[in-house]
Amino acid sequence: MMDLATLAERLRRITVEITSDGRGTGAGVVWAPELIVTNAHVIHGPRVAVRGAGCSPVEGFVVAGDRAADLALLRVPGLECPAAVRAGDGTVAVGALIVALGHPLGVPGAVTRGIVHAVGAITPGGRSWIQADLKLAPGNSGGPLADACGRVVGVNAMIAGGLALAIPVSEVQRFARAAGVPVP
Amino acid sequence: MDRLLDLSDQLAAAAQRVGQWVLAVHGRPRVPSTGIHWRSGLIVTANHTLQTDDDLSVTRPTGESSRVTVVGRDPGLDIAILRGDDSAMAVAEVGDSDAVRVGHMVLALGAGPRASWGVISAIGAASSRRADGELFSLDLRLYPGFSGGPLVDARGSVVGVNTSGASRHLHLAIPANAVNRVVDAVVRHGRVPQAYLGVSTQQIRVPEGVGEQAGVGRSRAVIVVEVQSGSPAAAGLLVGDVILALDGIAIADPLDLRGALRPERIGQPVTASVLRAGRVIEVSLTVGERPDRGR
Repeated sequence: MMDLATLAERLRRITVEITSDGRGTGAGVVWAPELIVTNAHVIHGPRVAVRGAGCSPVEGFVVAGDRAADLALLRVPGLECPAAVRAGDGTVAVGALIVALGHPLGVPGAVTRGIVHAVGAITPGGRSWIQADLKLAPGNSGGPLADACGRVVGVNAMIAGGLALAIPVSEVQRFARAAGVPVP
Repeated sequence: MDRLLDLSDQLAAAAQRVGQWVLAVHGRPRVPSTGIHWRSGLIVTANHTLQTDDDLSVTRPTGESSRVTVVGRDPGLDIAILRGDDSAMAVAEVGDSDAVRVGHMVLALGAGPRASWGVISAIGAASSRRADGELFSLDLRLYPGFSGGPLVDARGSVVGVNTSGASRHLHLAIPANAVNRVVDAVVRHGRVPQAYLGVSTQQIRVPEGVGEQAGVGRSRAVIVVEVQSGSPAAAGLLVGDVILALDGIAIADPLDLRGALRPERIGQPVTASVLRAGRVIEVSLTVGERPDRGR
């Protein structure tokens, strides 16, 4: 039987802490073994320090980045974190329970819970977001937004009008393919 | 079964179900508010979101828009009732809001549907403005456009109408039972009758100890500056009377007086505790219906 504590613990294992150029801390999701997805705005140089839960920091290298999409891919040799389980397309329903993991305001591995507020663009013709009624803070950027089973549904990217906005998994997958780093 | 997944599925199912009863209401510039198909052809929304009585329209969950007209407003409760042709749209399942308790889990929905989740944090808002004193204070976020939308319990029934009309920082809901009384009045009379006494008042400070005599212990009350002839007040109130309380509920300013006069009190007796010539006396009045001033 899964409770919130178990779910949070599972997500902590697939979430890393990223420090880039000594400027603050962001989060990242272990997308595949030794491969991290995060926000481009978390990255300030070609090399970053990546730390998994309960591990020492290891060096990571930026393999792809897209400022407009606000996504970056990092290769982190020697990172011993399990890869996230991702939800398939079209599996987030409005009202469904969701959980975010990250390091808000420097608090490592903090969990926040909420529900899916809506899925789609904020402004007409804009990009599609998973909009969540959930509390995010600086330090959550790049971290996972997951469903009640612990499957990652998006990558937390920003706060707008009190809403948490996450980039859907399908968009991350498209970005990875376009960057020549196909992920199963 | 997985408890978290069960809860998640139930929340999502409730949002989907209630989303069928919810409309976008276009009654102000920019952000539309939300309305609920409360009874066949009658849509409930938050009064403060309708800035006009003309050119009002709603958008149904299917995306179709149609014209609606205002059939009644209850500014004291912040409820407005609209009439439209919504025979094709499902009618909301309205629950018993008296069963709602502090700590109960609730969803708030906006047109879209968009959803927000939290708990009932208190019953009875801080203000005494609403004499029925039964507003729900919510520990959840009402996003722009959520006013007029449904507050939904764990069963997926509508137990209130959300409003941030009192303040952007106060997230409140009007209990469904209070909304039902307004809707009943519309069904019965074709409008929302406005209760009145027929006085104009101003706030004043009362001498120490006077409030205690009336059993209210407040330092402020209202002084009668005008009594309309032929009104319920003309039967017992005089210019210069200080109204301390109505039926034991303290009246500290003119808005308290308005809040105490709910439409369902029309025709009923009310006792005013009045300071007149240095003595606190009780004056019996009958709440009247405000005459239609015409349009």
